[in-house]
Amino acid sequence: MGTEYLPPGDDYTIRCPRLGQQISFSYCRTENRGLPCFKTLDCWYSHFHVEAFLKEALTPEEWEKAFSSPPKPKLLSLVELIEQAKKTNQRKA
Amino acid sequence: MNIKKIVLPESEIPRQWYNIMPDMPDPMEPPLHPGTGEPVGPEDLSPIFPMPLIEQEVSQERFIDIPDEILEKYLIWRPTPLYRARNLEKHLGTPARIYFKNEGVSPAGSHKPNTAMAQAYYNKISGTKRICTETGAGQWGSALSFCCSLFGIECKVYMVRVSYDQKPYRRIMMETWGGTCVASPSTETESGRSILEQNPDSPGSLGIAISEAIEDAVTNEGSKYSLGSVLNHVMLHQTINGLECQKQMAIAGEYPDVIIGCAGGGSNFAGNCLPFVRDKINGKEIDIIAVEPASCPTMTQGPFAYDFGDTVQKTPLLPMHTLGRNFVPEPIHAGGLRYHGMAPIISQLILSRLIRPVAIHQLETFEAGITFARTEGFISAPETNHAIAVTIQEALKAKEEGKEKVILFNWSGHGLVDMAAYQSFLSGKLSDHALPKEEIERALEDIKPLPKPRQYTG
Repeated sequence: MGTEYLPPGDDYTIRCPRLGQQISFSYCRTENRGLPCFKTLDCWYSHFHVEAFLKEALTPEEWEKAFSSPPKPKLLSLVELIEQAKKTNQRKA
Repeated sequence: MNIKKIVLPESEIPRQWYNIMPDMPDPMEPPLHPGTGEPVGPEDLSPIFPMPLIEQEVSQERFIDIPDEILEKYLIWRPTPLYRARNLEKHLGTPARIYFKNEGVSPAGSHKPNTAMAQAYYNKISGTKRICTETGAGQWGSALSFCCSLFGIECKVYMVRVSYDQKPYRRIMMETWGGTCVASPSTETESGRSILEQNPDSPGSLGIAISEAIEDAVTNEGSKYSLGSVLNHVMLHQTINGLECQKQMAIAGEYPDVIIGCAGGGSNFAGNCLPFVRDKINGKEIDIIAVEPASCPTMTQGPFAYDFGDTVQKTPLLPMHTLGRNFVPEPIHAGGLRYHGMAPIISQLILSRLIRPVAIHQLETFEAGITFARTEGFISAPETNHAIAVTIQEALKAKEEGKEKVILFNWSGHGLVDMAAYQSFLSGKLSDHALPKEEIERALEDIKPLPKPRQYTG
């Protein structure tokens, strides 16, 4: 793998559209509980060959999980988190 | 002397928000509850939102009164000024007349208090004692802390650890306004603790912070949750911007040919443009442009086509913006495209061809921000620079065409707490290389034989 396929170091930061601050690739690479943030390809494709790098670094299953799962509408993900929190509450009680 | 800015008197502040839902040419379908398969209803959301906000979320009323208690607080910084960017026009040598709506004059420095204030109020009258939320670098957390302080509500903010460590100033702003800000993952929730057990050094993520904020709201009496973007009621509250702007443009004797805003979650863009989208639906000719960061070319360069939802072609064909199954599969949602993270209202208006999406590269946005700062003086938030960059493009296009276009853009916030981003740019650390066009075209070959959905007219 050539150097153009390797991610820049932590001193190289770009704007994260989700957090609203400068961020390095190492954060994006593991943001989603060890998997890349779903926007990693979008944000980094113009800085190095991120797609090729991650295809090599991730298993096909991890790739699928990180980039191929259809996102849920926001309201739906909120409802799921509410249900999850209710269960936590019941366990506490 | 030429007029530089148009300031509405306080007596002219709009008394209603505009709700675009009844005017949407293509109605939006509600998401289905994962357990029941029924549309998500008010009772599903009541553990985290007060009923007035849930009612607004699904309202089909075109105009909704703004309570006096909110108007009184809005007057701290509203109406916001509309500026004529004469120095930028001169610098570009354009015949275009450029206007920008300055939403950076709010105490928190951005458009976000427009909804934070409304949400704090509706929580207050519903008996909420404390509001929980998540924040990244702190724009939303600081706006909500400010607004909660004015209504005497406790504000708890789960701030993503990496931001908490690297962005102290907004955290201090939250604390100054009386908010409590903790780094997420925290030890204060089950979800936070389980992450920390696995990884004590976790830098956190927005997903974890949201889980913590919702768990906190659901499990603590008198607590609710608040979200600063994406949802319909957030877009609604933001429309006070565009409604003011319509009055100010009328005072200037102008009407915009082009409206530009940066679109992340979509709320600042929606706030400025939705009242004008209504005019467009009613026949006005306006080019309304949503500017996003250039992405591994998605909604701006991929055709809206049917594609397989997975790379092994097991799932049914679903409509989505796509570059083919061998490229980066694109997000989908019930009822049409949902550009991941963007407000469904904006996504739907893009599909309905009322809003035109444009993508722009990071370097160009900073170049535009520097040009703007050196001509108009204001240092813009990096997100706002996206809108400025496309404004400059449009102004130069008008120059080429010799057209006296009227361009309006939303200056959504200042960048005074974001100087690290400018430092990266000014020190020459940022570089940019667009994906070669041939690569995109190669990927598009994959989806050529697939049928096109009804919505695709391109």
